[in-house]
Amino acid sequence: MTYFPEEVVEHIFSFLPSHSDRNTVSLVCKVWFPKLRVLTVKGKPHFADFNLVPPDWGGYAAPWIEAAARGCVGLEELRMKRMVVSDEGLELLARSFPRFKALVLISCEGFSTEGLADIASHCKFLRELDLQENDVEDRGPRWLSCFPDSCTSLVSLNFACIKGEVDSASLERLVAKSPNLRSLRLNRAVSVDTLSKILMHTPNLEDLGTGNLTDEFQTESYLRLTNALEKCKMLKSLSGFWDASPVCVPFIYPLCHQLTGLNLSYTPTLDYSDLTRMISRCVKLQRLWVLDCISDKGLQVVASSCKDLQELRVFPSDFYVAGYSAVTEEGLVAISSGCPKLSSLLYFCHQMTNDALITIAKNCPNFIRFRLCILEPRKPDAMTNQPLDEGFGAIVRECKGLRRLSISGLLTDKVFMYIGKYAKHLEMLSIAFAGDSDDGMMHVLNGCKNLRKLEIRDSPFGDGALLGNVAKYETMRSLWMSSCNVTLKGCEILASKMPMLNVEIMNELDGSSEMEENPGDFSKVEKLYVYRTTAGARGDAPNFVKIL
Amino acid sequence: MAECKGGGDRSPSSSMDSSTHPVLSTTSSGCQPARRDLSTDLHLGLSLSSASSLLAPDTKSIPSKPRNQVPLDWPPIKPFLKRTLTASARRRRTLFVKVYMEGVPIGRKLDLLLLDGYDSLLTKLCHMFKTSITYADVMEYHRRVPHEKAAYVLTYEDQDGDWMMVGDVPWEYVSSLPDKREETEDCKNG
Repeated sequence: MTYFPEEVVEHIFSFLPSHSDRNTVSLVCKVWFPKLRVLTVKGKPHFADFNLVPPDWGGYAAPWIEAAARGCVGLEELRMKRMVVSDEGLELLARSFPRFKALVLISCEGFSTEGLADIASHCKFLRELDLQENDVEDRGPRWLSCFPDSCTSLVSLNFACIKGEVDSASLERLVAKSPNLRSLRLNRAVSVDTLSKILMHTPNLEDLGTGNLTDEFQTESYLRLTNALEKCKMLKSLSGFWDASPVCVPFIYPLCHQLTGLNLSYTPTLDYSDLTRMISRCVKLQRLWVLDCISDKGLQVVASSCKDLQELRVFPSDFYVAGYSAVTEEGLVAISSGCPKLSSLLYFCHQMTNDALITIAKNCPNFIRFRLCILEPRKPDAMTNQPLDEGFGAIVRECKGLRRLSISGLLTDKVFMYIGKYAKHLEMLSIAFAGDSDDGMMHVLNGCKNLRKLEIRDSPFGDGALLGNVAKYETMRSLWMSSCNVTLKGCEILASKMPMLNVEIMNELDGSSEMEENPGDFSKVEKLYVYRTTAGARGDAPNFVKIL
Repeated sequence: MAECKGGGDRSPSSSMDSSTHPVLSTTSSGCQPARRDLSTDLHLGLSLSSASSLLAPDTKSIPSKPRNQVPLDWPPIKPFLKRTLTASARRRRTLFVKVYMEGVPIGRKLDLLLLDGYDSLLTKLCHMFKTSITYADVMEYHRRVPHEKAAYVLTYEDQDGDWMMVGDVPWEYVSSLPDKREETEDCKNG
């Protein structure tokens, strides 16, 4: 491609409508790397979110930051997900890119507030510091004071996941000199009074994550808060709340009518009546994340109040008692009939029925993401005791635009037959405790033309399925299989047939030395992760990972 | 309070799931924030699984349950949410009570403050003990559901040591009581 003038190449690319296509072509040529402005890197597999990937598996950010520091000093934005980032890495990042504007870290770990101090100190033009659900070591509140007085460019600041105290005076000063602030998410250490003071400086705020709303109830504090909130006419999205006291909820009411997004998933202290009093006022709501304390009754209120609802997530509040939740199929059926625009769902519940799923599929044919988690593995239809094959079959048949699906409950190979037959746009499929035989997985590999990510746990798929369509993995981003029936031998055959794949196996219990002594063993592989590579096996794999 | 052979067909052996419940408080009194003594709770869990297999040899195995207990990396929720909710539970006021099924020496514990009323309490207990339970007006229940076999009845022991039917006292009053209470399930012939 080096013989083509750049202008010609750029002109050709301008015909590519989608981001992901342009992304793909941009990976082809090293010449373009120095001009890189925005870099997005994702590390660990998705199931790492659920403790299925052992610590120290990899996903280190350092090599990426170092390479960028050497090769593309024009870097302006870095987004990383499920990576291990160190304070040294953040310091290098802060010092290496003079035009750096945006750092987004999602579900990362390995760094502390000292690393953030370096970012604050040295990134003069910082617009965005967005820390989503990271595990950050708390080394004190100093970092927030490190933003120099000259830094007035902040548009988005999210430190909700920071565990420790922050200095209120520094926070107020920072907000006061950031006239462009549109999104601000505080952590639970920020008091109501500090929040009220901050909100006096943010009339253009669109997205707010509150601090703690559990102060000893002082009416004046909450009245000040209401006054301050009323000034934020642009505020559309609300989150935080933490252990909010129910008595503080009415002080939020003046905002409700303008909200399009509401995240109450960190707030187990509000019961269904507190929640419904608030949500019934949110008539423009498009996105709702809530705990199952809302109960089926509460979801009926949502269904009758929030006609524009597009995305719903209901999380389990009491996950230690196996299988218990206050929401069932009834809540979801109510939502589906009241909210026909629903396109994205994540729903944890303790039971489901085929009839309900069939009704839901008919009511909401626009699902793009449908993730259902029945808390008890392999639980059948609560009315008929049958598998839930027909219910999920209806979902994939009716929802022709479905791109992401997570299935649960008692499921046989039949559900996979339906998925392979109907889910033609499916890109990501998550399977747990499902299926009877290799046929199940084969239906998916053969039928789902657009499949990119397949993750399977605790299901009886073995070498036959693994090796049944090996060419398919070249068209996919990754395959994860844990606690299935694949053997070391099967993985070795896969690796030898497909040299452009990295076939990683993890057997924590056995240890790698035992596997080397018995090559070709038919011992079961505990965890398997397969992905495409242009660079061969990675060099930073720990002892318990073997790359075939 | 006569011992009853009818009532729930399924044994409480499924309540061995409580061994995956690390945050149970050892104190059953309400007001002070519970300091969790995990070692005692784990011990309870282990005894329960062996005792219940002795007590319930005729257990009909529930087809939907896996042979093992629910795995520790389940349900699939993100660590940040899990940590937040766990920490929140530790911070909040709790009102743990012990619940025993008549004839079964090993009981269960639950936090009344996580429930919003008697209906929720019943639902949760029915789920925990895998049996039908009724409270307050037994006659009313049997009139409404005549075909159902004799249910277990929910009772509690009050400060005076009297055994009372659960359900007459308004829930708000119940959930604000600071004193230790024990509830037992009892069986009444239908």
